[in-house]
Amino acid sequence: MNDWMLIGKNLFRKKLRAALMLLSILIAFTIFGVLAAFHKAFTAGEDVAAADRLVTVNKINFTQPLPIAYFNRARGVEGVKQVTHLNWFGGYYQDPRNFLIVMAVEPETYMDVYGADLEFPAGMRRDFITNRTGALVGKAMADRWGWKVGDRVPISSNIFSQKNGSHSWDMTIVGIFDNRTPRLDTNFMVFQYDYFDETRSFGKDMIGWMTIKTTSSSLNDRVAKTVDQMFANSSYETSTDTEKAFNKAFAAQFGNIALIVVLVVGAAFATILMIVGNTMVMAVRERTREIGVLKTLGFPGGRILRLVLGESLLLALLGGLAGIAVATAATMALSRSLANFVPGMAVTPGIVLIAVLLMLGLGVLTGLIPALNAMRLKITTALGRS
Amino acid sequence: MMRSVLLQIAAVTAMNVKSIPQRFWLSLSTVVAVALVVMVLLTFLAMAHGFQRTLASSGADDVAVILRGGSQSEINSTVSREQVQLIEDAPGIARSASGKPLVSSELYLVVDGIKRSSGTKANLPLRGIGLEGAAVRRGITIIEGRMFAPGSNEIVVGKGLTSEFAGFDLGATVTFGTTRWQVVGVFSADGSVFESEIWADLPVVQSLFNRNNFFQTVRVRLENPGAIERLRSYVENDPRLKLDVKSEAVYFAEQASRTTDLIQRLGWPLAIAMALGAVAGALNTMYSSVAARSVEIATLRAIGFGGFPAFVGTLIESLMLALIGGLIGAVATLLAFDGLTTSTLGASFTQVVFSFKLTPSLVAQGVVLALIVGLVGGVFPAVRAARMPIAAGLHA
Repeated sequence: MNDWMLIGKNLFRKKLRAALMLLSILIAFTIFGVLAAFHKAFTAGEDVAAADRLVTVNKINFTQPLPIAYFNRARGVEGVKQVTHLNWFGGYYQDPRNFLIVMAVEPETYMDVYGADLEFPAGMRRDFITNRTGALVGKAMADRWGWKVGDRVPISSNIFSQKNGSHSWDMTIVGIFDNRTPRLDTNFMVFQYDYFDETRSFGKDMIGWMTIKTTSSSLNDRVAKTVDQMFANSSYETSTDTEKAFNKAFAAQFGNIALIVVLVVGAAFATILMIVGNTMVMAVRERTREIGVLKTLGFPGGRILRLVLGESLLLALLGGLAGIAVATAATMALSRSLANFVPGMAVTPGIVLIAVLLMLGLGVLTGLIPALNAMRLKITTALGRS
Repeated sequence: MMRSVLLQIAAVTAMNVKSIPQRFWLSLSTVVAVALVVMVLLTFLAMAHGFQRTLASSGADDVAVILRGGSQSEINSTVSREQVQLIEDAPGIARSASGKPLVSSELYLVVDGIKRSSGTKANLPLRGIGLEGAAVRRGITIIEGRMFAPGSNEIVVGKGLTSEFAGFDLGATVTFGTTRWQVVGVFSADGSVFESEIWADLPVVQSLFNRNNFFQTVRVRLENPGAIERLRSYVENDPRLKLDVKSEAVYFAEQASRTTDLIQRLGWPLAIAMALGAVAGALNTMYSSVAARSVEIATLRAIGFGGFPAFVGTLIESLMLALIGGLIGAVATLLAFDGLTTSTLGASFTQVVFSFKLTPSLVAQGVVLALIVGLVGGVFPAVRAARMPIAAGLHA
């Protein structure tokens, strides 16, 4: 009989009690896994932001427009490798509830600036540049609506209308692009700014914002300052930030999600710490007599300590790993229904690593006091107790 | 007979309760576990309710909001001057003392503000309204300073906005791009979403933001809530008016539903998952309680007590622990979160300031959840207590 067998026997001597403790640990780690995945997906904008990209928006607010002339002026700034401009379209498909992320962009520079993140093969590149009503659709969006290259789809806007009064633009899908990193969401589409600008009934020659790719991220600060100074005191002042800072500020607008996640996970862990810790103390106290026998047989105190700690660690790992498995399944089920709000929700290896560290911490915390008590137990006291 | 059963139940319950201090830490862990479950649930429900209440109090039945067809929210909508003039002639619209129709055409723009709590930029709504704007709405009161003067670079701000965002104190100068504005007043609006807004004179906003002859929404005061049907059929029968007509109450209810749904859809599953964990804890506590008292229970049975009082006594102990936990959770939520003011991005893409609001009915939901935990956690151990063989118990 080796120590592991002894640990296993001790843990499952009262099957119901062990099962209940496993269940509570499982639930705590399920909550941790799902919330960590949610938080990670929610702040993904920060993580996937490229270090060499800047976002230039109207200083009043990013929903206010900028003149198209800024595009060419920004291209001339030293340290700028490429600039593109984008315009939020407020898109939907057939019914306003079928909300779509659609942007009108300058095709060639768009593919230059985002080419490091998204795949634009040469053929797709050419088709998008040459086709006035052409649109590129992300793989996730194409899958969702069953769209294929060559399809002609009417995309409506809840903001803009055409000069003929229609709210809908006919677009031809000339390409379906994929991402280069799986974390990047592709549930969006882009179409030609020229087509949009010539047909819309108001806002002509205005753009939404610009994305600048710098020649090196070390030049970011200088480029941002130069661009903003260039447009200072005009009627359209700008504010330029790194893509990461911009995405982070946008996520923060929803509120302090991180604090909520920490509080809920903290509450869940405080609960199991109390339940499992108390139960372990009780379970070991019930075995006082047996521990006395083991010591009589010559088991040293250190080995007794390891036996009890091993038991609490085994408990934490069994419950915790099962909990992470449940969280992974739950996240997959949830990621579809939350796709528009927090795309790309998944239990990542990083989350699993933190979970395993938490399991080890939980095992040591709940086992330490009973283990020390058991180690220090005097044989005479142990055998004398009834 | 009935009386003796009741006396037996009372005796067993008293015995159980008196012996709780012997299992102090284990019982406490159940109480704390239940308290935390209830706290998590009530905090989410109070958040959802507070947000919903802010938007619900914003909408009046007898005010209609008119938006561009399919635009869904004010920020997306556009309405032309010609359309505004056509609406002024529509039926069902209430009139002021001087006989003018109560119609307010408005611009809804987004400007940056700095959130006090995080120091980060946030989207704030700047509403360009005429003087009719305050007349169409009810419950608008200037609580500090005065209303903006027509034609000036003056703004008035909602009291929720000044509390959550920096730089909008009375007398302060605010810069939007190259334009400078002075805060001349703070208004309240019965706790509605308008308290999260900045208001300025419509023609000034139109000209300084390059939006001449451009409107986004039209609000009208109706003669009565039913008059919206006449207004709607007027709009539908005129091909120049491709507009959606909604009562303000319906409009804000739609705006609230997405956020409150999301909060509730997160809050309930979390609370239920945590409740399952707490049930496991309660079961452990109660099984140990039964085991620890097996001699007493067997003794009572030996002297003629029935199994039923043992069952009820154990169940009451469990329910009591859960109830105490539930009440502690409710009080803790009340102290820590009730009335806490915060803001989030609403459906109009701008910040909505709201307060967490706990109500008796929400507290009741929390206490019911606690009692369910106590019931499930107590019933199986109680069955064991009732069925315990006397001989085995006495030898334990």
